[in-house]
Amino acid sequence: MAEKTINRELANVINVRLNRQLLYYIDICTRCGLCKDACHQYVATGDVTYLPAYRAELIRRVYKKYFTRTGRFMPSLIEGREPDDRLLDELYRTTYACTGCRRCMYYCPFSIDTTWLLGVAKAMLLEAGRGSPILTELAGAAVMKGENIDLFKDVILESLKDTEKEVQQITGDASAQIPVEKTGAQAMYVALAGTHTILPVAVIFHHARLDWTLSLFEAANYGYFLGDNKLAKTIADRIVDEAKRLQVTQIILSECGHAYRVMKFLYEAWAKEKLPFEVKGIVEVMHELVESGKIKLKKDSIAEAVTYHDPCQVGRNAGFYEEPRSLVKAVSRDYREMTPNREKNWCCGGGGGVVAEPAMDEFRLKTGMKKVEQIRATGARIVVSPCENCRLQLDGLNEKYNLNIKISSLMDLVADNLVAQK
Amino acid sequence: MAGVMVYVAIAVFLAGTAYKIYHWIRAPRSSVRLGMFPRPENSFGRGLKLIKDSIVFPQVLDNDRIMWFFVIMLHIVGLGTFIGHMRMLGEFAPLYNWLGKDGMDTLSYIGGGSAGLILLVAVLYLLFRRFKAPYRDISVPEDYLLLLLILLIIMLGDHLRFFAHFDVTDYQAYMKSLITFNPAFPAAIAESGARWVLASHVFTASLLAIYFPFSKLVHFIGSFAANLVRSD
Ligand code: SF4
Ligand code: SF4
Repeated sequence: MAEKTINRELANVINVRLNRQLLYYIDICTRCGLCKDACHQYVATGDVTYLPAYRAELIRRVYKKYFTRTGRFMPSLIEGREPDDRLLDELYRTTYACTGCRRCMYYCPFSIDTTWLLGVAKAMLLEAGRGSPILTELAGAAVMKGENIDLFKDVILESLKDTEKEVQQITGDASAQIPVEKTGAQAMYVALAGTHTILPVAVIFHHARLDWTLSLFEAANYGYFLGDNKLAKTIADRIVDEAKRLQVTQIILSECGHAYRVMKFLYEAWAKEKLPFEVKGIVEVMHELVESGKIKLKKDSIAEAVTYHDPCQVGRNAGFYEEPRSLVKAVSRDYREMTPNREKNWCCGGGGGVVAEPAMDEFRLKTGMKKVEQIRATGARIVVSPCENCRLQLDGLNEKYNLNIKISSLMDLVADNLVAQK
Repeated sequence: MAGVMVYVAIAVFLAGTAYKIYHWIRAPRSSVRLGMFPRPENSFGRGLKLIKDSIVFPQVLDNDRIMWFFVIMLHIVGLGTFIGHMRMLGEFAPLYNWLGKDGMDTLSYIGGGSAGLILLVAVLYLLFRRFKAPYRDISVPEDYLLLLLILLIIMLGDHLRFFAHFDVTDYQAYMKSLITFNPAFPAAIAESGARWVLASHVFTASLLAIYFPFSKLVHFIGSFAANLVRSD
């Protein structure tokens, strides 16, 4: 009896999150299975539980069992299911595995967004106390940093000193700075953990004479991967509050796909407010700087073959296809395109927080098979990709499959190939 | 019996579809824009993309050509068949004046006949596809049931087309009796052994119409709504 009540409460998680789009997705899937060839995880493993429609069906069947007439009277017709242990285990495995690439949505004849249904699945798992422990821990650490930023500040500033010296060396300008907490700066740059995402940008911005300041926080948002929107918002709040306090007119997010998605497409919906600043990604900013002549690139300076990997969150889910390409093409003599590319590009397998979960390592590298084939087919020696998660995955693939390639961020590519300005 | 069923079917189909649409628009829109890129610049482009995505299924063509072929066949020929049935309501004057009764009969025999066969093959393909992994593993009884029902309707229709030899005027008389709320088979049909085939065809088609709005077949309207979200 008690179990029945718990199951009903869990099923109700779907009901309270229902919106129009979700209803379409629940009602119209014909289980044609065409999304199977879209998902790198299904293609690499052949395991039907990773087939996008299969994952989505788990949620659909619970919803239909509890909230539709067919489900109540003839559950067997639609194979209605209760959110019992077995279902939750299956949901956990298949939901936290999904990289959120939305390639399945691209190939679905009805544009069904499987990730949107899996978002509901994550809410249900969290309600049942079954959220991913590692993502919970990482999200918690980010919140903790937000609450105690004064304790962290000195350490951060100290660590920036060395990076600042490097910037001065590279630019040959002893006055070059990494500004922090600069009120009224035009832009606030939000980097990632580690200075490797600060250095190249500081160099580029110095060349461009951009009035900027560095955020004390990192762009990554594990609350989003966890599927806890409240927590994700709290983590994003740190950046939003800082930007408001410093009265910047724009924030520029580092090469981090999901961080851009959170800020650009989700935050305002969560917060129910309009952000008083513009949200940009470093990819489009670098492109604008080149276009407007604020920075100049050394044309054709790379002799080795270069290819570009469209991160799902930069391409399909944000629309930057040509901007990054124009930068890569400008500096490379031998640019090669992967097939397929742009909106049809294969996910590398590293999105959705799977790189954070050590238990997923083997699966993750296995599901990068399609990407490995694509890279091999180009024969490129350098793979450029403007997303930290993609790069971590590409590094892993490089090692495991002996690809013998160099993986570069777009910021590094640009920073290393700047023409010194007078 | 099959007569009353038709009225029930039409009523349930219309009311059910209206309810489904109401059920959708009653729910709040997602506050997050779920579209993907490239995104058309303006609403004209969006409309165009919507029509292309919902009618030509370019993503399916890209992904699985054989499936695309049968799905297009099923939908286009299915629509054509539906339109073809309209001849029972009355002749389409311009075409009739041009071809004459015999010409029209030949046209509908060839057109309707090949449509019936194409539909048969397309539905059989979809049905057999479902018995194969991994499609089998994501299928639920509803999927088979719908396909079997549609298969039955097509087979009965084909039987009428190829073996029953009723004249179009007989069908028109039957249709007229339905419209005037006085359903009855005209003598030519009532006295034929094939009347059971027609009754079963009407009955199964009515069943499908009744189940339609409550099944995944609502994708016939839902796909337009959901494909619009693609470029939101
Ligand atoms: S392609 Fe779309 S409609 Fe077909 S099974 Fe996948 S999600 Fe369902
Ligand atoms: S979003 Fe990507 S990883 Fe997730 S189910 Fe779809 S294709 Fe697979």
